[in-house]
Amino acid sequence: MITPLKALRKNRFKTALIFISMSVSITAIFLISAISGGVVSMYSAMLKTDGDIIVTQKGIADTFFSDINRSMAEEISKMEGVREAGALILGAAPVEPLPIVGIYGVSENRFKSYTLTQGFTPKNGEVILGSKIYETLKHPKTIILSKQKFVVSGVFKSRIGFEDGGVVMNVHDAGVLFHKSASIFLVSLNDLAKSDSVVEKINTLNPDIEAKTTDSFIDSYNQFKIIKTSSDVIGAMAFLMGILGIVSMMSMVVNDRKTEFGIMRSIGLSSAVIIRKLLAETLIIALFSFAIALGVSLGVLELIEHADKFQGYINGEITFSLALKVFVVSIIMAMLGTLLPAIYAARIDPMTLIQRGGS
Amino acid sequence: MKIQANKIEHYYGIEHVLRNVDVTIEAGSFTAIIGESGSGKTTLLSILSTLLNPTSGAVMFDGKTIGALGNIDVFRRHTIGFVFQFHYLISYLTLRENIALSALDDTAVELLMESLGIGRLAARYSDEVSGGERQRAAIARALVNRPAVVFADEPTGNLDTKNALGVYELFKRFSQEGTGFVVASHDKKIAEYADTIIEMEDGKIVKIFKR
Repeated sequence: MITPLKALRKNRFKTALIFISMSVSITAIFLISAISGGVVSMYSAMLKTDGDIIVTQKGIADTFFSDINRSMAEEISKMEGVREAGALILGAAPVEPLPIVGIYGVSENRFKSYTLTQGFTPKNGEVILGSKIYETLKHPKTIILSKQKFVVSGVFKSRIGFEDGGVVMNVHDAGVLFHKSASIFLVSLNDLAKSDSVVEKINTLNPDIEAKTTDSFIDSYNQFKIIKTSSDVIGAMAFLMGILGIVSMMSMVVNDRKTEFGIMRSIGLSSAVIIRKLLAETLIIALFSFAIALGVSLGVLELIEHADKFQGYINGEITFSLALKVFVVSIIMAMLGTLLPAIYAARIDPMTLIQRGGS
Repeated sequence: MKIQANKIEHYYGIEHVLRNVDVTIEAGSFTAIIGESGSGKTTLLSILSTLLNPTSGAVMFDGKTIGALGNIDVFRRHTIGFVFQFHYLISYLTLRENIALSALDDTAVELLMESLGIGRLAARYSDEVSGGERQRAAIARALVNRPAVVFADEPTGNLDTKNALGVYELFKRFSQEGTGFVVASHDKKIAEYADTIIEMEDGKIVKIFKR
């Protein structure tokens, strides 16, 4: 049994190059997937809070552009099976010195969703700040939004980065600020099993609105599809770049080791043995690369999460299923990247390999 | 094992290196292929040992073509040994690991190493032993599965006279035990050990002497 570790130690420089190439690719796949997944999960979590059904303007591509009459929220709240319906305005505006901040206008009954760490729920002309932005802005007493001054009445803590880096005000003030009545309604139910019938009832209320269960909304929301597709495309590019990197490095390795492989063939070791040997070597590198990439990615995500610059908006999470997926991708990447040059070498006559390899 | 080569032609690109070569190597014989550098010795040896496919012509082993031998790797491992001019030991493996690389029976490795006087060097790497010891290890690797025939290409090319004679003596010893040897060399001394001498020139066999 040939020890792959010995071969890797012998070819230290190229082993290091393959290791770096693979680690960078795996880290890229990890970060892209974790960050895009984080965006989707943060927004989903925000919508799912007290929201079994989401009501938006019909046919709208993005909730930021949705405009519905918030008086309908009261009608919905009286429907059978509905526990509560709240209006929400989603907007974004600059808050000096930050160029863009998420602004959430919420109806009275939704303030309970925010855990205040200090102060009180906002009245007209007041806002509460997420703890992240509160720190970034260095504990302001007031903030300016669209040339209007708002008093900071409290600070809340949210595990959802978008909210923790955002500003929450009452829906009336937000309506004035963004010139709309409401972006969406979040409807909570007494009995989830009745969600389809409630959705149907809401949809008959007004032809300009569209109700969906939260899960169905999240599944069909265009922005999520765009984020997921972009993430998949960029992830696939990182995967391909990784394979190309490994193929080119392994080609160099195979080229350098033609004599060795020629000798092995000449003493009766089969091509399959040589291919397995190369695969074993790359798999070892892949395992180390995966471990390092996982560590680096966790570190980078931790840094990003706490970086004031990102206001907590970028909040990636590496779940077990993501780690497992990337692990499988890493192994496939290593195998595909190695197989091509290994099969090429295995097809050449032993003596030709030895002669081409030189002494 | 009787080896027959029929109408072997071989080209490297446009260079015609073997021209219509017909040769028979008798089972268990000690055959020397001699000739100047570039006469085609190494190419013929590579083709006879299955390490290189000829451009045209056929090689038969006990009357069977290479295609009829089954798995060529298994055939090489069981039947053929090869000693190169350079030892070509794998540098990241110890001498023992190199010899055991293709060994069918691991216990044969130690016995052979002792028999060739390199038993004490088992744990050494090739760059930690002398040129003669490296070549002995390479010979041990070729002999470890007791092949029917060992091919050797200029096996003493990098050795001094004393070590070169030692290699020939080893070949003679194993030849007397029944292993066939086909040795390509420009060293005329090999002729003293061989029972068949094939002389090559410009890709052709010009003379065959039998003792």
